[in-house]
Amino acid sequence: MNVKITKEDNKYSVVVEGRVDTTNAEQFQQHLAPLMQAQNAEINIDCSALDYTSSQGLRSFLVLQKSTMSHGSNLTLFNMQPQVKEVFDITGFSNIIRIV
Amino acid sequence: MSRLSKSFPVRLSSTILFITSILFLTAIMIVSYFSHKMIGEEAVKNASNVLNTTTRDINMILGKIETSVTNMEWIVYEHREDTNYMYHITRELVKQNSEIVGSSIAFVANYFPGTYYFAPYSYIDSSTDSIISKQLGNKDYDYFNMEWFTQPYVSKKKHWSLPYYDEGGGQMLMTTFSFPLFDKKGELYAIITADIDLLWLDKKITSLGPYVNSMTFLLSQDGKYISGTHSALTKQPDIFKMADSVQNYRLRILGKNMISGDSGTLRIRNDKDISFAVYGPLMNGWSTAIISPYRDVFAYSLRMNLIIIIVSAFGLFLLFIFCFRIVRMLTQPITEFSVAALNMAKGNFQARLPQINTQDEMRQLYDSFRYMQRSITHYISELRTTTAENERFESELNIARNIQMSMVPREFPERDDVSVHAFLRPAKEVGGDFYDFLIKDDVLYFVIGDVSGKGVPAALVMSIVRAAFRFLGGVNLTIDQMICKINDTISRRNDSIMFVTLFAGKIDLKTGEMYYCNAGHNPMIICHADGRTEYMKPLPNIAVGIFDDFKYKPEQTVLEKGCRLILYTDGVTEAEDELKKQFGEDRLLEFASKLTPEQQSEEVVHNLIQEVKDFTKDADQNDDITILSILLNDIKS
Repeated sequence: MNVKITKEDNKYSVVVEGRVDTTNAEQFQQHLAPLMQAQNAEINIDCSALDYTSSQGLRSFLVLQKSTMSHGSNLTLFNMQPQVKEVFDITGFSNIIRIV
Repeated sequence: MSRLSKSFPVRLSSTILFITSILFLTAIMIVSYFSHKMIGEEAVKNASNVLNTTTRDINMILGKIETSVTNMEWIVYEHREDTNYMYHITRELVKQNSEIVGSSIAFVANYFPGTYYFAPYSYIDSSTDSIISKQLGNKDYDYFNMEWFTQPYVSKKKHWSLPYYDEGGGQMLMTTFSFPLFDKKGELYAIITADIDLLWLDKKITSLGPYVNSMTFLLSQDGKYISGTHSALTKQPDIFKMADSVQNYRLRILGKNMISGDSGTLRIRNDKDISFAVYGPLMNGWSTAIISPYRDVFAYSLRMNLIIIIVSAFGLFLLFIFCFRIVRMLTQPITEFSVAALNMAKGNFQARLPQINTQDEMRQLYDSFRYMQRSITHYISELRTTTAENERFESELNIARNIQMSMVPREFPERDDVSVHAFLRPAKEVGGDFYDFLIKDDVLYFVIGDVSGKGVPAALVMSIVRAAFRFLGGVNLTIDQMICKINDTISRRNDSIMFVTLFAGKIDLKTGEMYYCNAGHNPMIICHADGRTEYMKPLPNIAVGIFDDFKYKPEQTVLEKGCRLILYTDGVTEAEDELKKQFGEDRLLEFASKLTPEQQSEEVVHNLIQEVKDFTKDADQNDDITILSILLNDIKS
């Protein structure tokens, strides 16, 4: 699991790579911490290299989503691999988080 | 004592003492060897000096006597016709020379025509201490046959007689110096003599000895003892008999050397000790010797050695005491360190360390010790914290696990119309799977779910869900109402943002009518009686606990007789082998499609668990695995 965040003005470009599972979900959430502080920001997460996410990983995305909403930011996930998209679909997360 | 003798100061001091003792002893031995040698040589030199001085003294006296006598040569010659004057000359010789106790001028036979014997003689009469003169020769005292006359007469040279005891005057040891007198034509006409009392010589010789047990003696030309202390031991008349009697070969050599007029030194060994002899000749052919035992010579140096050894021993003793005290003082900190270490071993990590004021190895030891103390203290406190945390974590996990496992039913209904079975295989750490079911009035309620989150909070959420399920099943709510209630309950106070995916359903066993609602859970598999097996794609409801007031939509279907439902959590489809390959939905569907209608739910559940196990092999199970299977064997209506 690897998270790269680059910031330009108030635009965050995030790349998530590898697997988010029960063993590293907490770490993953810590990586996302700076995004949760951002005010009125544009946050785009590139999920093309995200191979797998467990329910713990989903929870991290959910936490991020809730905090961005409360800070007036916009969260978008894009380029999601089909099997990951399926997990988001099954759990209904696709209804809550903007996935393009 | 045994404890003390093993202590470091004692050992070090003993070692130092031992080495020093050896050095001391070696030094003493070397010094005493050389001093012994030197003293020996010095003693010989000293004895030689004594002997030489004495010999010189004696020679001077003897020379004086010779000179006194030989000086008379011309006077006798001048007055040779005056017989009375001859008496006068002899009287004068005795009178002028204290050593000369008698003197005569013995003329050859018939020098004065008609007088066969003529030898005027003067001597000191010891009883009256006056000088008496007389004519010596007569037929009773035929001096022409006496040694003192014949020897110089024949050899025409001066002569010292062998020592003898004078029979006339008081048993004195005497010797006679004879000197031949010649006339103008070179004819020997008389022998002038001087009798010497040897008492002074005796005194001189006997007082010679430089050491207590020194023996001194004077030998005549033929080896006889003239005076001295040597003969007193055995009463032997001469040195050769003496040598024979004590069987000493060296003594015989000494005798030979002495009578041949040599001077020198000689070692003599007898059964008691070793002695050395210094010897030298007198001018008259006699010889003196001093024999001194080495034990006398070395008595002093032995005493000195003894004193040195005693002083050394005392010094060594003091050295030992000082060493012991100094080393003990220096190593005292070590003892205290060891006490401190012992205390630390007992758990007192703040054990007092000794005060170190020096900047040496002891200081290094102190610093290391201090560092160790601090590190251990720090480490222990850290360990305590971590251990406590771990214990807390572990116990929390255990509590959560106990709550979880106590909530899933382990007994299944035994009915002809429906076969229900479920199994939950918990993962080591995380996992919030649960299932439940109940049958009331021929209606089967069932639920399967997965709480995202862990520990006690997740377990509590699970218990809320279950309690709601149990309660709502009793009050005849619809499935979607039930899930909405659960969602409201959880999401309202959900600070840690936990969510639950769950699938709940309600089957009327009499009609096969089923209502169900899927809140973000994995789709169930349905195996129809005609053999079709498929996933039932649910409506996209979100998981429970995310948004309150979310309207969950129910779904409805009718199950036919022989229809089978397989519900599961993501622990099954996402079970991974060692290469991180997932079990997957396709594999699960394939498993389900191979089932035959006779296989009851218990068998199905166990087979699926085994299938997953066979797939993952030795890989760690990182999520709970839960399977719930329902088979409708019969529908009454």
